[in-house]
Amino acid sequence: MAERSFHKEVQDLKIGDGEEFRGEGILAVTKALLQSGVAYVGGYQGAPISHLMDVLADAEDILNDLGIHFEASASEAAAGAMLAASVNYPLRGAVTWKSTVGTNVASDALASVASSGVMGGALIIIGEDYGEGSSIMQERSHAFAMKSQIWLLDPRPNLPSIVDMVEKGFELSEASNTPVMLELRIRACHVHGQFTAKQNKKPAFTLREAMENPVRDYDRVVLPPSNFKHEIEKVEHRWPAAVKYIKDNKLNEFLGGYKGKTGIIVQGGLYNTLMRALYILGLADIYGETDIPIYCMNVTYPMVDDEIAGFCLDKKSILIVEEGQPEYIEHYINTVLRRQDIKARIYGKDVLPMAGEYTGQVLTEGLRKFFGLGAQKLLAKTAKPRDAISVKNQQALEKTVPGRPVGFCTGCPERPIFTAMKLVQRKLGNIHVSCDIGCHLFSILPPFNIGNTTMGYGLGWSGASAFNTQSDKRTISIMGDGGFWHNGLTSGVGNAVFNKNDNILVIVDNGYSAATGGQDILSSRALNKTKTTNNPISKAIAGLGIKWQRSVNTYDLGAMTKTLTEALTTSDKGPKVILAQSECMLNRQRREKPIRNKMIKDGKRIVRSRFGVDPDTCTGDHACIRLSGCPSLTIKDNPDPLREDPVAHVNNDCVGCGVCGEVSHAAVLCPSFYRADLIYNPNPWDKFRASLRNIIINSLQARGDKRRAKHSFGEI
Amino acid sequence: MAKISKDKPINIAIIAMGGQGGGVLSKWILDMAEQQGFLAQYTSVPGVAQRTGATIYYIELFPKHLATKSKQLPILALTPIPGDVDIVIASEMMEAGRALMRGFISKKTTLIASDHRDYAIVEKQIMGDGRRELSNVKTLSEETAAKYICFDMDKAARDSNSIISSVLFGALAGSDALPFDRAVFEETITISGRAVEANMRGFSAGYQQAQTHNTNKESKSKEPAKSTASKSISPLLNRLNDNFPPHVRMTTLHGLQKLTDFQDPAYANLYLDRLEIIKALDSPEKHWHLTNEMARYLALAMAYDDTIRVADLKTRSTRFKRFRHEVKAEEKQIVNVSEYMHPRLEELCDILPNSLGKFLLNRRLLSKLFQKGRRISTTKLRGFLLLYFMGRLKGIRRKSMRFKNETTRIEIWMNEIISICPQNYELACELSGMQRLLKGYSDTYERGLHNTAAIMQAYEGFKHQPQAANLLSNLKGTALQDEEGQELAKALAKTSPLIRAAE
Repeated sequence: MAERSFHKEVQDLKIGDGEEFRGEGILAVTKALLQSGVAYVGGYQGAPISHLMDVLADAEDILNDLGIHFEASASEAAAGAMLAASVNYPLRGAVTWKSTVGTNVASDALASVASSGVMGGALIIIGEDYGEGSSIMQERSHAFAMKSQIWLLDPRPNLPSIVDMVEKGFELSEASNTPVMLELRIRACHVHGQFTAKQNKKPAFTLREAMENPVRDYDRVVLPPSNFKHEIEKVEHRWPAAVKYIKDNKLNEFLGGYKGKTGIIVQGGLYNTLMRALYILGLADIYGETDIPIYCMNVTYPMVDDEIAGFCLDKKSILIVEEGQPEYIEHYINTVLRRQDIKARIYGKDVLPMAGEYTGQVLTEGLRKFFGLGAQKLLAKTAKPRDAISVKNQQALEKTVPGRPVGFCTGCPERPIFTAMKLVQRKLGNIHVSCDIGCHLFSILPPFNIGNTTMGYGLGWSGASAFNTQSDKRTISIMGDGGFWHNGLTSGVGNAVFNKNDNILVIVDNGYSAATGGQDILSSRALNKTKTTNNPISKAIAGLGIKWQRSVNTYDLGAMTKTLTEALTTSDKGPKVILAQSECMLNRQRREKPIRNKMIKDGKRIVRSRFGVDPDTCTGDHACIRLSGCPSLTIKDNPDPLREDPVAHVNNDCVGCGVCGEVSHAAVLCPSFYRADLIYNPNPWDKFRASLRNIIINSLQARGDKRRAKHSFGEI
Repeated sequence: MAKISKDKPINIAIIAMGGQGGGVLSKWILDMAEQQGFLAQYTSVPGVAQRTGATIYYIELFPKHLATKSKQLPILALTPIPGDVDIVIASEMMEAGRALMRGFISKKTTLIASDHRDYAIVEKQIMGDGRRELSNVKTLSEETAAKYICFDMDKAARDSNSIISSVLFGALAGSDALPFDRAVFEETITISGRAVEANMRGFSAGYQQAQTHNTNKESKSKEPAKSTASKSISPLLNRLNDNFPPHVRMTTLHGLQKLTDFQDPAYANLYLDRLEIIKALDSPEKHWHLTNEMARYLALAMAYDDTIRVADLKTRSTRFKRFRHEVKAEEKQIVNVSEYMHPRLEELCDILPNSLGKFLLNRRLLSKLFQKGRRISTTKLRGFLLLYFMGRLKGIRRKSMRFKNETTRIEIWMNEIISICPQNYELACELSGMQRLLKGYSDTYERGLHNTAAIMQAYEGFKHQPQAANLLSNLKGTALQDEEGQELAKALAKTSPLIRAAE
């Protein structure tokens, strides 16, 4: 079960014609899918579309009522291949994932389905993780659309437009027998807004009907000679059909003024930012009223030649607002204008930055540059730039304000793994560490600074496969359980067994796909009523032929250190796998806290542990912090007026995982750490022992107080 | 010509760290605004936000009636734009700094910020004091923002046993930056139906303090008082007040208290003896800088952390009160405490009489017993009595091996200061600060000794050079930069040619 529950929100998916829907963009997309009579949905979680998967999972009852099959696919490749259902049958289907990484994984299946072509509408909803807050390489999904000839929708980022585009997307797909990508930028996915809903539709043609009346058409299989036919179909039939549909249904919009020598062409997804920039420059109002003609491309592939030509015909200078690089749209538009010999001068990446997110600030500056070169009249009209902060002060602040990278949560069971590795490295020297994708990748940040490369989800071990040669040191690779089931099972473990690898893999087995929001996976311990869980990784890798495997509780720092050392030094040849096991703390707390609070209310005996530091024995060296980095282990002023350095301090977020104590033992640090066990609803025996102890302890402490009082400094 | 309307949205940026309830706060603002007839758009970049990173939540509000009047929907932005944000809410002071840096705070902005610190890992992991300077963030916030509401909202949350997001919500209400009155805010919390009482407490705490712009007062440094000191102490105080200039009295007084607490008044008197030798070399012209430095570092050197000290501190009544308070134990609740200790043979020998200590120290078999960490429960009798009586070994401390070693160390250190002071006062001051490198226990402490030795060796080479003081202070700085001592090694390598030049 995922970190965030949408059980309340999904009820909104039932609302009917004319009712107002308010909520998150992702939720709106789900509603739009139901309104479009979709027959099957699949996908793989990952920001920014994790919530879409969580919503669908929580909405399974509603989906069942409508006869929709939802699948939490094993990977984006599996999700992409799912679209094969729409090749032979008039079935509408949708899949979703994080892009571009997910699209990379899916591209094999996508290329095939795009070649076969589809009969039922096939929609691929991609969450574009580009710009601020992104956790992946900065690339464009646009290239995938072009290479496989999949249409690309990039709607204006408001709920009505997004919902409309989902519905039109299916029609476009069917009209042109081509799968369609709907690109949503990260903020559009999470944007909260309103739209007027329609009734949900059951699929006109059902999966069952398809399964019971199979249809086979050799022309749809990617094999000679069909594959050659497909390419011709693509350019001669599907492309023109798509362009016709886009024109007839006015998917692209002509906005703003209709006169003037200067125009702007913008990707739909950037329209709001563009309008805000013009508003700030005083050239538009909050409703988007402006004299500047704007051609808003809600479909960025294929582009419509005569719409472009028509827009540019009477203009002197055109600005193209296209995020990311290479500037495919700008290239294409230049070609169109040259072919038709239209004189308008195209501005784009020459006035706007080649790389990086197009924020309001970036566009404001870019527009000013553009007007300066191509439209002095407009420049004269623009408002003066608003006073932000002076460059000098900004630089000063950049020195002061510390960066705040993401890190392991309080009590995270993955932290001690890297503490252990740090301790082991002190003895055996530094080790080449190949990382994977997942929370464990935070090991590359302070205070651990562990990890050399990360090659992709589940590719941790294959990322070190070259280092499979005679050497006095072994390499360590990291992989999460999520990555393991995603593809590490074959590309990592299988690959290592087959190639007689002699190195080490640490699998972080925390029971969830944690980084994407705690979704269940094959090896989750939780029972899930719609999925099969409790398939241990240990069995899977044994089946693959791993002889050397150890399971360690991550919180047992001693054992973890010992096992790592053994793996690094043993004379046994062959691949070695350490299963580092402990439940993700975020999910564990979410599960246990309410239960514990209830038990305390009901008068059951409960012991709650948390840790603390004695400020008068802490000398402010912070070795403990450098080995832990737990958010709840922080610093505060030294109560001793003679000592200058701040002391370590455990704040009230502490969940009592015990790592700081283990660390101070394993690293022989200081005696300042203590564990406090708070007893709720003590039984008579507790009370008896406590009172007995207190009598003696209190009397001895009283004597101590008296001794010290003899040497009092008085009122100071 | 299109006719340009003057209608404006209200733009709100919330800058918070994962887990601080920025999402909850945003939700409240949304619900309230929509309930009050506004169109509301909200977005953020969560992704891994719940994993402690800094996140910006952005909200735009627009009055519905204006939209109806102009028969069009407003086009709302998804990112805050420098100079265009009306309200900035920062859950921590450095996050306010981040908002400043990104230009979100301008002449039109109401800034609501909590001036507490939540230290970033880059500040926490430093071996010395890595905390960043706040002052320029505070002054710039005050100068830049149109309205600046700033107080310790974390404290307010703790005092009202609530969460910071509700305090921030209260401060927002109290700032009068939104066209809604208090009742509307409170209603929103009630409707949300989650932890209503707690949130209400936090809310009103925030509301009050925001209305009465309260600023934290600086605490004045107190003067030492002679009154009501016990017989054993008054001679010390008299000596302090008669023989030491006011500049150094406060620090010296702290020293006296620490050493009396560490051992006894006689030991504190020895401290004064030693300090007077230093004072004799010092002068008002130098503002008694050296004496003040020594008052601090000599006290720390003499009150070294041995097992006796730790055991003593761990078993005190004041300490029991403190941990009960720290872990928020309820009145009369049973709390069991286990101490994480890792005494090595060295630490035991430290507190034994010198000869015995030396004898046992290199007994291999014995050291085997001291390889595992121990958990000693000071709330159970065995553990408490063990530590309590270990603490009472104070009586024989003067005979212990560690005491001998520390005394020698202190004497060598002081003699060097005394001999160098006449020719290089600054260097003497730097020398006194060498004590700062000696912290912690076992490995950490030995690393300190090791670094000190390395630096002192280099020092012998350059101590007669004019730039000696700078050299020494740089070396001290680098010694606190990394555990592996790489920076120090580099720095030492750099100084060696200078030394040779000197020779």
